[in-house]
Amino acid sequence: MSTSAKIKRLDQRPMKDAIMSKNKFRFLGLTLDDFIKYFFQGNALIAIVVLALITISLFSSGIWFIPQNYQNLVIYRQAGLEYVDYLRQEIDDHTALTRYLSNLRLQQMQLLLKEGKTPEEAQAALTPLDTFITAYSDAATPLNDMLSEQTDIAAAIKDKHNSQQEELHGKEMLLKAGKTEEAAALQVEPVDFKTAVHPLLDMRDTYIETNGIFAETLSNLVFHPPKMVSRSLQPKMDRFRDLSRTYLIELPKYEDQIMNWDQFKPIPKYKALTSFLFGRQWLTASFWQDWYGIIPLLVGSLTVSFVALVIAIPFGVGAAIYINQIASPTEQNLIKPYIEFISAIPSVVLGFFGIAVLGQSMRWLSQQEWLAWVPGFPINERLNIFTAGALLALMAVPTIFTLTEDAINNVPRAFKEASYALGATRLQTILKIMIPASLSGIISAVLLGLGRVVGETMVVLLCAGGRIEIPDFMQGLGAFFQPVHTMTGIIAQEMGEVVQGSIHFHALFMVGIILFLLSLVINYLAQQVVHKYKISIG
Amino acid sequence: MNEHAPAVKPHHTVNYMSESQASESARPSETMAIEPEHHKRARTLIDIEHVDFFYGKSHALHDINLKIKEKLVTAFIGPSGCGKSTLLRCLNRMNDLIDGTRVANGAIKIHGVDIYDPAVDVIELRKRVGMVFQKSNPFPKSIYENIVYGLRLQGINNKSRLDEVVERSLRGAALWEEVRDRLHDSALGLSGGQQQRLCIARAIAVEPEIILMDEPCSALDPIATAKVEELIHELKKDYTIVIVTHNMQQAGRCSDMTAFFYLGKLIEFDATEKIFTNPSQKQTEDYITGRFG
Repeated sequence: MSTSAKIKRLDQRPMKDAIMSKNKFRFLGLTLDDFIKYFFQGNALIAIVVLALITISLFSSGIWFIPQNYQNLVIYRQAGLEYVDYLRQEIDDHTALTRYLSNLRLQQMQLLLKEGKTPEEAQAALTPLDTFITAYSDAATPLNDMLSEQTDIAAAIKDKHNSQQEELHGKEMLLKAGKTEEAAALQVEPVDFKTAVHPLLDMRDTYIETNGIFAETLSNLVFHPPKMVSRSLQPKMDRFRDLSRTYLIELPKYEDQIMNWDQFKPIPKYKALTSFLFGRQWLTASFWQDWYGIIPLLVGSLTVSFVALVIAIPFGVGAAIYINQIASPTEQNLIKPYIEFISAIPSVVLGFFGIAVLGQSMRWLSQQEWLAWVPGFPINERLNIFTAGALLALMAVPTIFTLTEDAINNVPRAFKEASYALGATRLQTILKIMIPASLSGIISAVLLGLGRVVGETMVVLLCAGGRIEIPDFMQGLGAFFQPVHTMTGIIAQEMGEVVQGSIHFHALFMVGIILFLLSLVINYLAQQVVHKYKISIG
Repeated sequence: MNEHAPAVKPHHTVNYMSESQASESARPSETMAIEPEHHKRARTLIDIEHVDFFYGKSHALHDINLKIKEKLVTAFIGPSGCGKSTLLRCLNRMNDLIDGTRVANGAIKIHGVDIYDPAVDVIELRKRVGMVFQKSNPFPKSIYENIVYGLRLQGINNKSRLDEVVERSLRGAALWEEVRDRLHDSALGLSGGQQQRLCIARAIAVEPEIILMDEPCSALDPIATAKVEELIHELKKDYTIVIVTHNMQQAGRCSDMTAFFYLGKLIEFDATEKIFTNPSQKQTEDYITGRFG
């Protein structure tokens, strides 16, 4: 019925002209489509280039840490610091035992006072113990004197080496600036480590002698330890005796180390990296020796993140299930924006809250009598792993909540209906069908939440307590109420103060690399989980 | 219309296409008169009385009156959106899962008990009134775990008891021979037809009295459809079946009673033979002869 003549087209051109692309509008030989394509291509390219630049700069700065740290370790050995530290270790171990005794005395004292004794009576009862403690502690005095003498010598050698290095550096600068004469005038004497440590080595004979007396004094003391006043504390005293005997048996070990110390024994190259990766001390700007070990920071980051996840997973996942499966539409509209709003709170504000409210009230709470059974209570530091973890949990909840809710939403409605049709209750349906079917989504939500938590800086800087030390896990759960420092925190805190190009500066970059790799692994895992299990939901 | 005819010819085939032309003289007043004898004798199991149903403000079902007989297959037919699925989902209260739905008037009684009475335990109701859905929906678990899901919900974890139920249900759903060697493989590895029969097996594993089927074959090929239809014929010995279908031949082949719905109203309810050979309503006739819908 209809003929082509009757159709009114917008484009009146004949088809053979219209479909040829050469007739399209062009600017600089490009069509509009091309412009749009190149614009987005450019954007994507810039993102990739920036990411690559960040990675390259991180690694190219961090890599310098390794030779510097190697040099650091070499000086530690050659300047005799290592040698002195053997003696220091021996004395520190002895001090630890003395501290154990003092603790015991404190407990005994408290027990006596609790039993109704007056302070004077208690003091009198403790006299034999006090005499023992003093004798035990004083046994190390000659060794202590020797240590401080040696410390001075070794520190002087290192100082000399450092100033010589600085002079060398100055000379280089002069040469670079073209002032050859002035440079030639600067005579830099390299430190002769071999002769410099002679005074230290000369003390070895005295040391053996002193150590012999020390061992004899201790063994005399240890074989006749005083009886504790309270029977209940006697096992602790027995334990002290055992520890002390072990220490005595191991004394020759320290002697061997000192006698067989080889100043020029080469240090394996890998030590430069392993002393960082497995080092248990992060000690900077020390007069003695700087240590760059990431373990305390890594453990700090991990414990804080762990606490954050333990708190955030039940809240985030629970809230998602509630909102998606149980809540009425009104509740949904009310609660969802609130949870998502949490992520809009600046982390520094959360940090304030952590210090002023959470930390303070946690400490107050921990001092209550009726909560004394909680491990770690009463807590000494209001800023600790738990405070930081609790706040980080708040930051992870929106991420976990939103992604988990998406995951649950993606479970086909048919599964839910099938479950109900078989006589399942709502709880059974949620636990047996909805959660298993969305588990991959939930896991990846948790991993992304973890990524958020590990990378968070401000809250941990303000609220984790800032003590660079591995928490004492012997205390069990109480360890989570100890202050720590974290990888992100240390970078933020120290980066502004370090000398650019110094070993400390590069060590911070190394920490950044570890952090970067950690986040990379977490994100990679999250993606893998989603890819691997997505299919099973159908 | 006959292009979907199955390869296997079920028992109750009614050749309505030729005979439907002879239905011009149907009289509305005589609807129940032509019921076959055994249908009359069957007891009424589900009694739907004056039911009005709403999705929010939209009035989906108008004053439905229907008596579904025990151990018969009752088919609900009608064009899309006529309310047949809605009524089916009322029978085990699946509509409760949708916000804003309500039964405004009337009552749905099973064994004389109004299932919308507040005192009714919906969970128990659904154990007695099983359901098979349009799209097969096995859980992403093993075949075995799919079957025993309903039993585990009831706290039954005895291995030998579960094994027995799995075999019985799968045999009941004519699936046992095909899957006996791979009970612990994922159910999602089965073909579409097998999945649907698995869903039927899953439904009968909890031993319901009534099985509701919501277009169970709409996503299946003709061979799988034939198997499910055969199965329905077997199942009716033990269960009361209500089936919603778009496929007229299917209603003709496997049902004893047929209800025709149009725009939320029950137009005609009668023995299937009668509906397909001599419907009393003009609308019914137009629909089944393919003049509309």
